[in-house]
Amino acid sequence: MAGPLAPTRTPDTTVEEHGDLDRPWVTIVWNDPVNLMNYVTFVLQELFGYDEAKATELMLQVHHEGRAIVSSGPRERMEHDTSRLHAYGLWASYQKDS
Amino acid sequence: MKPFRARGGQLVARLDRAEAGIVGLLLDQLEQLLAAETDDVAGDPVLERLFPPGHRSDRAMADDYRELTEESLRGGKADDLATVRATLPAEGGEVRLDAEQAGAWLRTSNDLRLALGTRLDITEDSEPPEEIVDETDHQLAVYYWLTAVQGSLVDALAAGRAGRR
Repeated sequence: MAGPLAPTRTPDTTVEEHGDLDRPWVTIVWNDPVNLMNYVTFVLQELFGYDEAKATELMLQVHHEGRAIVSSGPRERMEHDTSRLHAYGLWASYQKDS
Repeated sequence: MKPFRARGGQLVARLDRAEAGIVGLLLDQLEQLLAAETDDVAGDPVLERLFPPGHRSDRAMADDYRELTEESLRGGKADDLATVRATLPAEGGEVRLDAEQAGAWLRTSNDLRLALGTRLDITEDSEPPEEIVDETDHQLAVYYWLTAVQGSLVDALAAGRAGRR
C-alpha cells in the first residue's frame, strides 16, 4: 500500500487447526502498491461495518504481512464479498481457509 | 486544485481548467478500456488489475467467478465513470458532490490510479518526479496529483462518518 512507513510488527501467530469439513471459506485482501492506506481502511468500514480500530488493524496487517482475512463464511458469500472489494479496486480473492 | 472538504453535508473541491481537462482525458481512456471485450482481460495488465481473478490457484473457480461477476463489475465501473463525468466541471471550477456521487468519485479515481499505477509499474518505493522532463514524469505527476485528490476525498468522507457518531 502507498503510505508512510510504519515500524514492522511481529505477526500474530494464532494458527488454529480445523478438520477439512470445518474449514470455512475466507476472503483475503492482498497488499498492493497503489491503494492508499486510508482508502483501504475506509472501504473495510464501508463494506463490512467494521469500526475504525478494527478496519485499521486489518489494513495494517495487509500492509505489513502482505494479506489479511477480512471475512469468512460460506463460499457464495465470500464470492460476493470479493466482488464488492473488486468494485472498490482492492486486490482481493477468496479461498478455503488453510 | 483545492482538495475535497466536507461542507454542509456535501463534498466540495475545486479544479483548475487544466486539471479538469486531464481528468476528462483519463476518463475517456478508462471508458475505452472498460468497453474492451472480455477475452482481452487476460492480455492486458490494467484490465487484469481492474478485474482480478477471484481465486488465485483454482483456474476453474476463477473462471466461474469471472462469469458470475464481471458484467456487473464492468457495469458498476461504467456507472461510476458516468457520474464523475456528469459532475466534473469541464472548464474547471467547483466540484460539489452528494454522498452517492462521492462514492463514484472515490471508486473511479481509484480505478484511474490503478490503471496509471499499473502502466507506470508503481511500487511502494515510487516517488513523485522531481522535475518533468519526459512523458513518464508527466504521467507520474498526474498519478500523484490523483493520489492527492483521492486522499483528500477519503479524509473528508471519513471525517464526516466520524462526525455522525
